[in-house]
Parts: sequence; structure tokens; C-alpha cells
Amino acid sequence: MKPRVAFFDFASCEGCQLEALNLSPEELTDLVAAVDIVNFREAMSERSDEYDIAFIEGSITRQADIARIEQIRKQAKTLIALGACAVIGGVNCLKNDMPMEEALHIVYGESAGFYDTIPTRPVDEVVHVDYYVRGCPPLTSEILKVIKAILLEKKPEIPNYPVCVECKWSGNVCVFERAMTCLGPVTRAGCGAICIKAGRFCWGCRGLVDEPNLDSEKEILQKHGLSVGQVLQKFQIYNTCGVKK
Amino acid sequence: MTINKILVVDDEAIVRESIRDWLKLSDFDVSTAESGEEALEMIGKEDYNIMVLDLRLPGESGLSVLAKAKETKPGLKSIIITAYPTEDAVAEAKELGAIDYLIKPLAPEDLEKLIRDTITSMDQAEVAEDRKAPGEQPFPALKLYSITGSGLKSLIEGLIREREVIGPMARQGKFIFEKISRFEDMVLDYDVSLLPPSKFLFPAKETLLKFNVERGPQFQPVVDTQQRALVGIHPDDINAIELLDDVFMKINPDPNYITRRLNTLIIGVDCLHPASEAFAPSMGTNIADSGFDLLLTDIGIGFVVTVGTKKGLEILNKYAAPREVTGEEIARQKEVRDEAALRYRHTLEIPKERLLKLLQDNYENPYWEFRARTCLSCGSCVMVCPTCFCFDVQDEMELNMIEGERYRNWDGCVLIDFAKVASGENFRHTKGSRFRHRILRKGKYILEKYGRVGCVGCGRCATECLAKIASPVEAFNAIAESERVREEARQIVHEAELKHNIYLPHLASLVRVRDLGQKEKVFDFKFIDGRALGHKPGQFVEVSIPGIGESPISISSSPTRGETFQLAIRNVGSVTNALHNLKEGQLVGIRGPFGNGFPVDKLDGKDLLLIAGGIGLFPLRSLIQYVLDKRERYGRVILLAGSRSPAERMFVEELDEWNRNPSIEFMETVDKADEKWTSNVGVITTLISRVRVETKNTVAVVVGPPVMYRFVINELKKTGLADEHIIFSLERRMKCGVGKCGHCQINGVYVCQEGPVFTLEQLRGLREAVL
Repeated sequence: MKPRVAFFDFASCEGCQLEALNLSPEELTDLVAAVDIVNFREAMSERSDEYDIAFIEGSITRQADIARIEQIRKQAKTLIALGACAVIGGVNCLKNDMPMEEALHIVYGESAGFYDTIPTRPVDEVVHVDYYVRGCPPLTSEILKVIKAILLEKKPEIPNYPVCVECKWSGNVCVFERAMTCLGPVTRAGCGAICIKAGRFCWGCRGLVDEPNLDSEKEILQKHGLSVGQVLQKFQIYNTCGVKK
Repeated sequence: MTINKILVVDDEAIVRESIRDWLKLSDFDVSTAESGEEALEMIGKEDYNIMVLDLRLPGESGLSVLAKAKETKPGLKSIIITAYPTEDAVAEAKELGAIDYLIKPLAPEDLEKLIRDTITSMDQAEVAEDRKAPGEQPFPALKLYSITGSGLKSLIEGLIREREVIGPMARQGKFIFEKISRFEDMVLDYDVSLLPPSKFLFPAKETLLKFNVERGPQFQPVVDTQQRALVGIHPDDINAIELLDDVFMKINPDPNYITRRLNTLIIGVDCLHPASEAFAPSMGTNIADSGFDLLLTDIGIGFVVTVGTKKGLEILNKYAAPREVTGEEIARQKEVRDEAALRYRHTLEIPKERLLKLLQDNYENPYWEFRARTCLSCGSCVMVCPTCFCFDVQDEMELNMIEGERYRNWDGCVLIDFAKVASGENFRHTKGSRFRHRILRKGKYILEKYGRVGCVGCGRCATECLAKIASPVEAFNAIAESERVREEARQIVHEAELKHNIYLPHLASLVRVRDLGQKEKVFDFKFIDGRALGHKPGQFVEVSIPGIGESPISISSSPTRGETFQLAIRNVGSVTNALHNLKEGQLVGIRGPFGNGFPVDKLDGKDLLLIAGGIGLFPLRSLIQYVLDKRERYGRVILLAGSRSPAERMFVEELDEWNRNPSIEFMETVDKADEKWTSNVGVITTLISRVRVETKNTVAVVVGPPVMYRFVINELKKTGLADEHIIFSLERRMKCGVGKCGHCQINGVYVCQEGPVFTLEQLRGLREAVL
């Protein structure tokens, strides 16, 4: 029997699901031949509570999320955190630096009383996560890579080296030499340095490598003209939860 | 070419001829020489493959033959035969390139096997040499031509028509190697490219195999057969490519690399404006004399072209309209190269030949961890390196789960997981260990394995490193500097140990020993290293017997009396007892001389009243001898000596001598006489009262037992001597001799340093000095 795949979304923009759908017709055919997709809100209306592989998009930000993710964990044989929000908390973690009431008020204004919120957590701070697909958004190829790995019963090889490695492979001129600053030296590669290739810089959306030299990175950012506050801000966009860990 | 020409060099006919006959039976072409001179002459005229050489030859020695033969015929392999193998000679022979040695008498089978092994390895080397210039016959000698700018243009355009041409182009203020479609896109006068051009021989990511599992696994190799020309390659990068050739083409040849390499023309260009971080001259890589098909030098009015291969000459003739180079152009080529060499800003501070040993000795240097503190482990340094070639291999299956590929991509030893195994252990888990590994690969490991330094001094790593720690030349220099500093410190410690360690005794041997009395002996010592004691009269030494201890002993002889020094010693304690048991020739330890000694210079021109009580004569004797040896410097010399009894008189012969000496006034007394005693009887003070002195110009020097001093002072004061003209030598417990241990202190004064000689004036200020 083909493994049944389900997608679930928590606090997120749902861009990750969109990226998962960004397949060529051949890829889509192959994918459907390899797995049964039983739950995918952005692509189909049928729903099933019987599944083997759960992709979780988004981070845990409400009390009700906890019971829901625990239920999914119970059902799924394999649980995969999909995208920056699910993997490292992502931009949702920005609110963790303020009281929750204030955050609610900023977002919902006078209606704040109708909503509840808790400090943001990446999925693996609530339930066990088997595999991670990083990035904001993740690469379609990496989503497929994880699915293929599960089908082959092998551990997906996600790099633990920084973006610099792939950036050099691509032959890019270093961001720091183009009068900008970059989180590439401490951010996990796998994206092919896509943003730098496009003339931008690394925001750190894939999270930190296992042993990031943050002191050295901060020193370098400051040497290139950033204030302490700006350095912190640079990290906070995606890595508020990650850096504090 | 068959390798079988053997030269046997031995002065013993029987050895020489039997080796010749044996080898001839095995079909070798054997010649013989009976002396080194003859051998060298033959080597000069003929090409031999292997020399079997006796080390001990009359006239020109075996080692000398080896050295000279190495000069004239570097390809000649030598096997040493010797009946007297010393480690040094064997080591030197190997240093000079000898393959191995056999000990005479030798078994001919062993020699034959060694010769056959040598030939096999020469065969392999020859094959490797052939592979090095792939597809091309080794070109006889580098030949120079001259082409114009438009000649170059038509060369490049010609190449663009026939193959993919990769050349340096500008991008965002940097230079990169990319496919060029027009000659004008190329920038030949660039400093350094972002990535090395070798990426077109060994790309960042390449497929090694494709596989298909539909009907069981099937593998299909994938190689890139694109015809390419790499144009505008700097000599440092050419040197790097030669290293890659060694790595990928010799042992376990790499099909992907070889296919690309065989299909790639290399057209170099001399680097005239080196990058700010480069240091190629220090690595000997700013010039290339092989590894290219053509090498251009921009001499301003055109290009000098060095032809490296036949293929290079073909395309040159085909497209570039070359002409013979003129002497002027050759001179200009040298000039622009020399000028360029001066533009490099970084230099290796040690000869590069010393690198290997330096890195070998500094494996534990704290520099590695310290310098790697800010390392991001980002891999930039290794990814841009032209001599780095480590890679990772991974499989990627298609979504159809049938087809897939195995690919490799650049990997690097500074990345955290590079040496991590599946079970979780990381064999290079600290930043410092990875940083060190990278530098050691550059300066040591690659050199040992491939005979080339693993760094060509391009400076890319130093440029790209955000933490600014990656430059190998900086690391090499820092290690050399730390070794220099350490060596200096070691030297200081060494010197301090040998010369300045205040507690380290120097060995002296007992030359002579004589009895003086029942419990007293006089010992003559001499330092075994020939040094002089260098003492002043009145100083003392610490004498040590290991296991027993040390004792302060005053020196009894004057420095004017030769190389030995005398210690007169009464047997009163453990050390003195051990000394009394010493035999001539035995060794003791001596520290010193210590103390101030008698102020011999201040006594110049004075009348001296020297007073010795009992064994106070032992220290005073050094002054008495000194004064007698420099008699003219002093006025009257009055010497008073007192002993308890005639039997306890010390240095009896000298006392009698002084008594007879007309240049001094000598008086002696004993406290208690015996029947034979005819001279004075009574304590020493009785003599003082009999002396008339000119008080203004007289200095009294008094040495004796403590009890004596009070009475002597009283008597001297009666003569009208001033306190500053009365001098004593005091006895105290002097354990260390160097003003530290505190035992000898009188109030705040260290007797061992500021004494033991004091004036009465000085002592009156010291309340503990009971007088």
C-alpha cells in the first residue's frame, strides 16, 4: 500500500503548502504514483484522519494548537516540520519578546479580547519531529527529497554547513563585499544560496547550523557597520526562538 | 626503454667480479669500476640505470661519488653495499638519494631482488611521468615566440570556433572564470578570480554515475567530454592544476577529472598585478614552467608566448602568426616578471623547505585553537582554494524511484561534520583541530604525499574569510614566530639553568687534601669545566655533597694563587664530615663565591693590622696571601696570630714562613704553652697592646671566634683606631648564600650578601650584632 500523506497548517502564511504544490506535471504524476495524498487543504476538499506521513506547516501559538498537534503526532508514523515557522518558530517568534496581551492588542486592536495566544513554539518543542524541511518557503525539491528519503527508508541528508558553502559553489561575490550584511555564515545551507544568487542576502530563514559561531558572526556584522541593536534585529527576524535556545 | 644497465663500484676485485658475474647471468648489462674516480668518469660518459656502490673506497669516497653522481645524473638510482654500516653513513647515503643498502658479505639473491624492485618502481614512475602530460608527448624544451595583440585575438577567436573557451571576466568588481563568446569579454590583466579556474576540471558538483533499479541495479558512468580551453590562467593556478593532476591522474586515476583534463587546453598568462592577499613568490608558484600548453607574458608591445606542448605549438601556428622572439623581448619578459614579483605584499618569513618540519614540531601549538576562535566553520576558505579537492558523494533518486544519480560536490575539512561518523563521534570536533588540519594539509600532508606544497599562495582564502584568519602564510609565519619566541625562551631557561640558576652547584674535583690538625684539613679544588672561581679574599662558597647537604665554607686561598682554590675545613658537622672522608679525584658541588669579601681596594696604601684568632686564620689567610702577593700596594703589614695551644696551630709551615718574612711584622701567641713552646704565651689581646700603629692610616682586619671580638675591640680602641678602620668577618648560618633563606640575617642585614665582612662602624648600627 502506498503511504498516505497529509498536510496540516498551524500559524503560518501557508506559503509552504503552496511551494509543495509547485510541481511540474511529470513530478506530480510521479508523486501521485508514489504516495496517496489524503489531506491537503490548499489542493483538495476531501479530508481523512487516516494517514502515515504528516507534514506540519506553521508554529504553535495557541493553547488549542497543542491538543491538535498531539493528536496528529499520535496518528502519524512520520511527522515532518515543514518550513521556517514549523522548524524554528520563524517570524511568529517575534511576539515572544513582548507580553502576550500587548501582542494581541497590536494585531487585533479592540477585538483582542476574542482571541487567545501563547508564546510561539516550533513544533519540536511540543511533539517529537522526525524530519525537517527548512526555509521560508522551503524548496519544492527539498520537500520531494524528504518524501523520497522516507520511501527509500533513508535519512534525508540536510546539510549542517552554512550557506557560504553553496554560495561559493555558485561563484557569487560575497554579500559583505557588496556593502551589505548577511546571515549566511551561521545559517544552514540547502537552499543553494538562492537569495544571494538573486542579488540579495541571507535572512537566516533555514535556521542556524548546529554549532553556529554567533560571537564571531556578530563581530563581523558590527565590523561591517551594524549596531548591536541592528545585529540583534538581523537575527530576530527568523531566529528569535532559535537564538535563545 | 629497458632498464638494465648496472654499474658496480667496489675496490675489492673479488666482490666486484662476483656481483658482475651473478648479474650477468640474470641478463643485466653490467659494467664495473674499481674506484670512485673511475666510476664518476664512467657515469659522465654513459647512462646507467642503477649503481651498486661500496661506501668504503680508497680516494673518492662512496658518499662523495653518490653526491657527485646525483648532480650529474639525477636519474641514476644507487644501492649501497657496505661491510661497516654505521647509522650516520647510511642516513647520509639515503639523504643523498640511495635507494637502500645491503651489508657485506651479501647474498646475491638479495641484491638481485633489490635491483628488480628498484626497476619496477622506476617503470611505474615513468608511466606516471607519461600520464602527467596527458595525450601529449613531453615537450623537449620550453620554446619562446612572440605574437601581437591581434595575433592573440585571432588565437582566442579561433579557439572559440573550435571549442568552449573559458576565460577571466569582470563581475561586480571581482573576476570570475566563465565561458566567453567574444575576445573582448576577456580581461587578461586581472588580479585573482573568485573561484579557481580548476573548477572546470573539478566542478563544485558533478554526476559520477547514473543508475537504474528497474531490472536490478545498473550503473552507468558519466563523464564530461566537452572540448575546452582555459585561457588566462595565472601561474599559481597552473601549479595548483599540476597538483590536481598528481592527485587525480596518478594513483587510482579519476575518470571524470582525466576526461576533462585531456580535453582541456591550458593557456596561461603571467600575473602582473597580484591580489592584495597573494604570496605566490614565497611558495615558488608565481612562475610556471610546466602544466600549460601556452603561457603568455604581456610585455606591453605584444606578448611573449612560452610553448609548453606540441598541441600548444600547433594552435599557436594555426591562429596567432607567431614569430621568433628577440633577445630584447626575452629581456623585457624577465623584467615584467621581476617587477610583478615585487608587487606581492605578503611573504613567508622562513624558507619554504622548513615548513614541513615547522608544522611537524608545532602540532600542539596553542596557536591553532587560539586563532580559530572566530572561525565560522563556513567553508569559504576551502571552497575557493585551487588546491583543495576533498568531496562528498551522495545518491539522489528520481521521484519515479527507478532512476537516479550518484554525484559528488566539494566538501572541506573545516566544515563541522567533515570527520563525523554515523554513530555521532566527530574526529575533528574543535574549530582549532579543523583549522590546524587545513593548514597542515597545505604545508605538510600534501607535500609529503605528492611532493608539492599544498598551497600556491593565491590568497583567495584570505580574501574570502570573513573572520580574516584563513591566510596560510599568516599561519605559517605565526607558527614560525611562536617557535622562534619559544626557542628564545627555551634558550633563556637553558642559560638560566646552566649559568644563572642560583641553586645549581658546579662540579669541582678534589685535587689535593692535607691534614692541618686533629679535626682540620685543607682541600684543593678545581672546577671540572676549567672555569676559575673568580673570588675575592674573604668570600665563601657553598660546598655540597648530594644527599648530605650544603655548607658555607670560607675560601682560604688568595685568587692570586692559581687555578685551584683552597678550603680549610674543621670537621664539625655532617657535610664537613663527608668532606673529610673525600678522596682525591672525587667530585663536590660548589656554588659561589658569595659575600662581599675584604675591601682589598680600599686597603690600598694603608698600614694593615691583621689579627687571626684560632681558625679565624682560615678566611684571613686568603687576605694574607693576597697582600703578600701585592705587597707593594700596602704600607706596614703587621700580622698577629693566636692559637689555644701549640698543637692547635694551623698552617704551621706558613706561620713559620711569615715569621721569617722581613717584609711583614709577625707575632704569634698561644693561650697555653707546652714544654717545647718558646714564643709568646697569652690571649691575642696581649699582642695588640704591644703594637704601635699610626692610627690615621691603619686598618685592622680581625677574624676569630665570636668571643674574641669584644676583647679585641676594647684593645684596638685603646690604640685610637676609628670604628670605620676596624674590620671583622662574621660567622653566621648561611644556608642559601644568595640573600633569600633568611638564616644569616642580623636585623635586616643578610650576612651572606652584605657581609660577612663589616666595619665596626657598620656593626654598631646593628643591635643583634652583639659585640
